[in-house]
Amino acid sequence: MSGYRLENGGRIDRNRPVEFRFDGHSYQGFAGDTLASALLANGVSLFGRSFKYHRPRGIMAAGSEEPNALISVDRGAGRFTPNLRATSVEIHAGLNAFSQNRWPSLKRDFGAINDRLGMFFPAGFYNKTFMWPRSFWEKLYEPAIRKMAGLGDAPTQEDPDIYASTYAHCDLLIVGAGPAGIDAALEAMGSNKRIILIDEQDELGGGALADPALWPWLERSRKALTDASNVTILTRTTAFGYYHDNFIGAVQRLTDHMPDNSDSPREKLWRVRAGEVVLAQGAIERPLVFDGNDTPGVMLSSAAKVFANRYGAAVGKSVALMTAHDSGWHDVFALAKAGVGIKAIIDVRTEVSSALLDEANRLGINVHLNHSVTGVNGRHRVTSIQICNNDDYLGARIDCDTLLMAGGWTPSVHLWSHSKGSLAWRDEIGAYVPDQPNENVRCVGACSGGWDFGSGVIVDMLPTPKDQSRIKAFVDFQNDVTAKDIKLAVREGFRSIEHIKRYTTNGMATDQGKTSNLNGLQIASTALAKPVTDIGLTSFRPPYTPQTFGALAGHAKGALFQPTRTTNIDGWAAENGAVFELVAQWRRARYFPKMGEDMHAAVNRECVAVRSSVGIFDASTLGKIEVVGPDAAEFLNRMYTNPWKALEPGRCRYGLLLKEDGFITDDGVSARLAPDRFHLTTTTGGAARVLNMMEDYLQTEWPDLDVWLTSTTEQYAVIALQGPNARKLLEPLVEGIDLSADAFPHMAIREGTICGIPTRLFRVSFTGELGFEINVPTAYGRAVWEQLMAEGAKFDITPYGTEAMHVLRAEKGFIIVGQDTDGTITPFDAGLDWAVGKKKPDFVGKRSMARPDIVAPGRKQLVGLLTDDPNVVLEEGAQIVADPRQPIPMTMIGHVTSSYWSETLGRSIAFALVAGGHEMMGGTLHIPMPGKTHEAKVSGMVFYDAEGARLHV
Amino acid sequence: MSDALFRNEPVSSTPYVADGVSISLAAPLKRYSLRARTAEALETVLNVKVPQKIGATEGGIACLGPDEWLLRTPAEAAMPTGAGLPVAITDISERSICLVLEGPRAAELLMTGCPLDLDNFAVGRATRTIYETVEIIIIREGADRFHVEVWRSFAAWLWTAFTAAASH
Amino acid sequence: MILIHCPYCDEKRPEIEFANAGQAHVARPLDPSSQSDEEWEAYLFIRANPRGRHHERWRHVHGCGRFFNAVRDTVTDKFETTYKAGEPRR
Repeated sequence: MSGYRLENGGRIDRNRPVEFRFDGHSYQGFAGDTLASALLANGVSLFGRSFKYHRPRGIMAAGSEEPNALISVDRGAGRFTPNLRATSVEIHAGLNAFSQNRWPSLKRDFGAINDRLGMFFPAGFYNKTFMWPRSFWEKLYEPAIRKMAGLGDAPTQEDPDIYASTYAHCDLLIVGAGPAGIDAALEAMGSNKRIILIDEQDELGGGALADPALWPWLERSRKALTDASNVTILTRTTAFGYYHDNFIGAVQRLTDHMPDNSDSPREKLWRVRAGEVVLAQGAIERPLVFDGNDTPGVMLSSAAKVFANRYGAAVGKSVALMTAHDSGWHDVFALAKAGVGIKAIIDVRTEVSSALLDEANRLGINVHLNHSVTGVNGRHRVTSIQICNNDDYLGARIDCDTLLMAGGWTPSVHLWSHSKGSLAWRDEIGAYVPDQPNENVRCVGACSGGWDFGSGVIVDMLPTPKDQSRIKAFVDFQNDVTAKDIKLAVREGFRSIEHIKRYTTNGMATDQGKTSNLNGLQIASTALAKPVTDIGLTSFRPPYTPQTFGALAGHAKGALFQPTRTTNIDGWAAENGAVFELVAQWRRARYFPKMGEDMHAAVNRECVAVRSSVGIFDASTLGKIEVVGPDAAEFLNRMYTNPWKALEPGRCRYGLLLKEDGFITDDGVSARLAPDRFHLTTTTGGAARVLNMMEDYLQTEWPDLDVWLTSTTEQYAVIALQGPNARKLLEPLVEGIDLSADAFPHMAIREGTICGIPTRLFRVSFTGELGFEINVPTAYGRAVWEQLMAEGAKFDITPYGTEAMHVLRAEKGFIIVGQDTDGTITPFDAGLDWAVGKKKPDFVGKRSMARPDIVAPGRKQLVGLLTDDPNVVLEEGAQIVADPRQPIPMTMIGHVTSSYWSETLGRSIAFALVAGGHEMMGGTLHIPMPGKTHEAKVSGMVFYDAEGARLHV
Repeated sequence: MSDALFRNEPVSSTPYVADGVSISLAAPLKRYSLRARTAEALETVLNVKVPQKIGATEGGIACLGPDEWLLRTPAEAAMPTGAGLPVAITDISERSICLVLEGPRAAELLMTGCPLDLDNFAVGRATRTIYETVEIIIIREGADRFHVEVWRSFAAWLWTAFTAAASH
Repeated sequence: MILIHCPYCDEKRPEIEFANAGQAHVARPLDPSSQSDEEWEAYLFIRANPRGRHHERWRHVHGCGRFFNAVRDTVTDKFETTYKAGEPRR
């Protein structure tokens, strides 16, 4: 044996040496090694510092349950992954890994002072200590604790990797490809079932990978399954969560084991829907609880066997075993045969089978029955252990460099528990096993409690003559929870394991208590003098092992984060320098700055252009619903506040939509195209909501009506042409429509063509100017827009954005639902009484207008506000008070909902919701803002052309 | 001015070809939303066979719901308006575009974001469903050929999502 | 992600195609103007919040578009049954 690499054996490829780095030092391993096995083979025993006490820690396990050896891997800029388990990281050329939670270095760690002060850090320490004084929390305690606490460092740069994602369907999903999982797959393979076999490791086999006798069988099985066309094998894939109706989330790691970063996805999220699930997740060996059980060199005995048989790495040169279970004996026998020096077997039991004793004798191993380890010497590596007789506490010292623990087995019921399957306690193995399923699922192999590891006893803690309050016997290694902490929690009155868990944080680390839950439960059981089954069991929750945010996000980042909806004219806006804003999911042009203009200057120019000549605006995002059928008018009459039955074809009407509680939810101008056909418009953000609400009433309240609703939002591009020159511009382009004022009055609709394209032409205005809204089939939107721009050059046509649109409408007193209303505003509050049909017997929301709260005085009402200083533009959202001299906190009677500079009026204008506002016309209100409290007079909401002379031309 | 110059499509007219699957924009179609209480009511108006079962397609008409059908036709045929009758016929030709996924990996591509089990989605079947967060209508035209109808404003996103998924 | 049986499509479809629409069998009064304030309050605002069996409405919004009724157990999240709008309470 050279160093700690065994001469023979393992599944590593000794012909392919691999160079890698750990904490800046170069090491060599072989292809097939994990970071853990390669470092162990190099004699490394120290892998990290613990979470709370910064104690030196080594490897404890060989798989994904490893609680101690958390490391970070740096794959270059933005590709930094913390908190990986060294036992799950495959080495490759150039791997650059680091230990964590230490400063300045792993061997000399400043934070280790916490370990010396450990008596000051009992369970609940933070809760108890950092309560007072309150003011210290934000400035002192939290920053200090944040600096000391936590596991690895969070990456600071954007992740350049890409992540794939897919749904998948199968008849049978098998999680875990150890012997039990493989058997289940082989058994089902002959059927025509679609089978997916998932395993978190890089190759199939699970526990069989550490058992060379099974390798020929494993190879035959692997080939049979690979050849079967109905079997999909996913290795390096972790089933992390089990959700309703056999929906399983799994992440496949595609490139992290490869030397170079590639353009292909790093990981792939599988969202699997399975007819039946077979869980073959195996079992996890349990540590023993004794003083010093976290010293580097103390590890699970099964892990030592894996390192020897699978990776050809010896975990030590003189190894002792502390066991409560037969399986530990078998493990060290295997180690002895692999060439690892075995110093002693210490078994807590008084009797074991003669077969075990005979084999130990044959191999020349000292055996100490009815003994326990009571102490471990060595700081960065075990140098010797202290053992004593359980009855008389007579002790002895054994020199060794490694101590194995075999405390029995815990079936991995994580996914079973996610699926809400029930568990049953089995006393003889001291563990919970799957009982009644909640889905179409079954457990096979070790995770069902069926195994051939032999028998053992369950001990909460090893007997010790030491003062229990002075020893550090770890239960949860990742969260640094000791047996003492759990006993303290019980002494302080915690009874439920759920409370003990939260108080001590036992089982709450990233390893989800894989190695700690059952030991914690046993210790609590003893402390409470109650059977385990009376204490309860904490819930396992996804993820089974930590997963990257990248994998969970999948494609949903950058351009694919969420859909940005664009209109047909969006490309033109982008090419012409528009500044955009998001409205609902839509990208809308906010303003079109010319060279050197800021938003203010651009918006002023756009507004003036509309008032003086003609402006052009992309209104395609307005929601549109086509309402068709013999009962169309009747339906709208029931939905909207105003009457619809008498509206003549060819005419438009402003519609106000309430919810049944009487509050405004949407508005828009709608047109009657034919006796049984209406073209509705809604707000941009309200389109889907309004259609859903209307479908709801139609389908479930009035199913007798013969009328159907179809969203036509995207069928039409809508171009608003607004300004005194709008008609002159339009006339030469339109055919089949008489545009004259008499033939085509305000609030009318006509059908014809524009630039040869069929159009539904509305004569409507949201600006107060002569205006048209040109609806054309969406594909032609940009072409018609460009024709209008070309034709409009002689009128100096000006494209304007949503910001100018907001100013123009405010000058005219038009509200925006959702900005000037907030879901608690009635038509009367908004000053829209005129839009409510007084004679209608019913419409949605009518009855609520007589609700006591709604007829009560003092409701917030929408009013105009004119600042005393015309140059002051109030902040939207600013609070309003009646008397600025009142003591703080003042009574706020309302707030500003819309506020703009009006270039047309040469002053600021605003809307506000004010309690009793309609009764305050002409009165003065006060608006405190940073620096100064401003005065404003309450006014009507129409600031410009109140008589509408500019519209009816 | 020719129609080709006048139309402005939200995605490229050049197909995206990846290993085992291509993504292309279908030629413009006439589309109508057909609504009625029964298939028979529509048959009377349209004088064509209308499928009865949700998911079924027949002669370019897909049954999407108990009272909803989608008619897609390349022809510029005159459609009756159904005026005065208890039916609703609405022109939605330009509401959506159609992306054609074709090739042995077409179903695999669609399943990257569509939660339906497409192994059990027969040729000729149509349904409204979802791709990640975007509503789509899928029509299985052949074992290796899907039509995916998507509202225009979501088309650029869907194209990007499909091409990203196909490139992996 | 739950599978929900749509009584119109007559098949189980994934949850993301559906939208919950609140408690089922809350009918809008035929003549709201005749309702007392208390009756109208009950219709508008008062809803059950049972532990266990709950009647609720769902809409197959990204499918056939129909509203329907369902009985779902609020503890287990399992659907007992679904049925078409207008059918009697189950």
